[in-house]
Amino acid sequence: MSANRWLATGNFFTTYREENRIFQTHIDRLVFCAFLASVFVWPLFISVSNKYMLVIDNILVAIVAILGLNLVTGFAGLISIGHAAFVGVGAYTIASFSQVLGDSHVLITHYWPLMLLAAGGMGAVFGAIVGLPAFRLKHLYLAMATLSFQMIFQWVINFMTFFNQGQTIFVGRVFWLTGKVGRRDHYLFWYYVILAIIVIFGFGIRNLLRTKHGRCLAAVRDNDRAADAMGMHPGFTKVYAFALAGFLAGVAGGLHAYLYRGVGFESFTLTQSISQLAMAIVGGLGTLIGSFFGPIFIILLDLQVEQLANLAANFLPSAGNLATALRPLSFGLVIVLFLMYEPRGIANWWRILRSYLKLWPFRY
Amino acid sequence: MATLIVKDVTLTFGGLNALSNLNMEIKPGLIVSVIGPNGAGKTSLLNCISGFYHPTSGKITYGDKDLTHASPHQVTNLGIARAFQNIELFSGLSVIDNLMLARHTKLNYNLLQAAVYFGKAAREEAKNRAFVEDVIDFMELEPYRKRMVGNLAYGVQKRVEVARALTLAPQLLLLDEPMAGMNIEEKEDMVRFIMDIRQERGISVVLVEHDLGVVMDISDEIFVLDFGVLIGSGTPEEVAANPKIIEAYIGEE
Repeated sequence: MSANRWLATGNFFTTYREENRIFQTHIDRLVFCAFLASVFVWPLFISVSNKYMLVIDNILVAIVAILGLNLVTGFAGLISIGHAAFVGVGAYTIASFSQVLGDSHVLITHYWPLMLLAAGGMGAVFGAIVGLPAFRLKHLYLAMATLSFQMIFQWVINFMTFFNQGQTIFVGRVFWLTGKVGRRDHYLFWYYVILAIIVIFGFGIRNLLRTKHGRCLAAVRDNDRAADAMGMHPGFTKVYAFALAGFLAGVAGGLHAYLYRGVGFESFTLTQSISQLAMAIVGGLGTLIGSFFGPIFIILLDLQVEQLANLAANFLPSAGNLATALRPLSFGLVIVLFLMYEPRGIANWWRILRSYLKLWPFRY
Repeated sequence: MATLIVKDVTLTFGGLNALSNLNMEIKPGLIVSVIGPNGAGKTSLLNCISGFYHPTSGKITYGDKDLTHASPHQVTNLGIARAFQNIELFSGLSVIDNLMLARHTKLNYNLLQAAVYFGKAAREEAKNRAFVEDVIDFMELEPYRKRMVGNLAYGVQKRVEVARALTLAPQLLLLDEPMAGMNIEEKEDMVRFIMDIRQERGISVVLVEHDLGVVMDISDEIFVLDFGVLIGSGTPEEVAANPKIIEAYIGEE
């Protein structure tokens, strides 16, 4: 019996393994591979100035961080208002190495994948520690605990001379097989690195979500009493969720440190935490694809509004102050609009689009 | 198969005795019902057994294991599963995922193997999925496999609740009012399921239920609670003839 594996129609499963596949049809897989190839290949044909490459890299770093935030807030339902602090933990892990060993020590410049892992590990440790109150606290009270971590983090960075009191700590240029990554290739190089990391983490998380280690997150979100009765320890599961989110945030922080070749405290403030939460909500909480849409949407929106504000300031110099208020204003407006009209985020549009395309050209 | 022994269990909330000096022995292989008027302490008893409450004094043992201070997940791992009175399903997940969650402790792979998926994790998932499908067949949930649990009808959700407890592959199943709020037809189905659970799967059942008709028909043994005190026990015939129980239900003349 040969099933039609190309289309959704006539595509039936004969084993449970087949049903658990990520790509149900060959077309899905093909489209995805083509998309993946195109994001890897396009910089070879289109050259982008460093300024815009930085924006793209920024989006990618945010995606890594939001993947983590979406796990803890979207899937496990634990509101984290201190995610930027976890990202900061990762960044400051690398900054600490730079402070102790010097910013161009071989460990930092040559063994940077190791450094990124260390940053992730540190993020996971801090995530687990901050997640400990989840044994007792729920909902908003737990969110307060994460908020307090954000405060403690900012305070510690600002007051410790070891961390340069929040002033920039430099991180050296890295080496790759081709030698030192120079100024011209810096952003392109990190584009590829972050992209590779996203692909690995993306598939890793997708796999987790179809196994018990992902399902247990949704279990404690929906009903932690019942989760307990299923034989898992809800407290540990929540700590594990925080650790997982902390790991991804830590890696994102490490990437941030390398990308900017320095670490300063202003990238990891409460404002950033809120903005990351907004990215997760706008993208779609509890969906993997939402972690990609959210950062892209919010960062591009911010960029557009900034340009608009500059334009307005040119025409009406007296309204310059008003124009700068456009950014936080538009940001807040977008969140409110999404919460009101599309609480399931852009991921829901994606779902609707997909189900439409599945039947196209028929209506139903 | 082991005997569940509840010995001198007292559960106190503030000054209120939800259960006082309760002694019960639940033998394996039977359908045992716990009945009593509202507020008699039936659900408190189940909560004590399944680890959500811990008795103020007394002891609960299952075979040679002590359940008195065990957490719910420890009790579950000993082979005692529980279906809740108010539906406590994972409403954001599909029926399949709800049941797969009940296989949580049986899925044998670590985090790294799960992230890679291919290999052990995939094999284990498929193996446990087969078990889940068996339960789905048993509980006749085939049409709802992929549906989100939160969107299902009440009666079906109740059935999923029982199915999830069954998926834990227990020796003893605690059912807390599985027929509450159901119509006659759904009740008949549920009764059939409960009898099949005992006969085909060899699982002992502890049933808390208000529908006395059902209880009298299917129980092997009945325990009657009133205000946290055990006022009588025995076979349905013995219980129906017990004047103290009649008094608790209908009142004095």
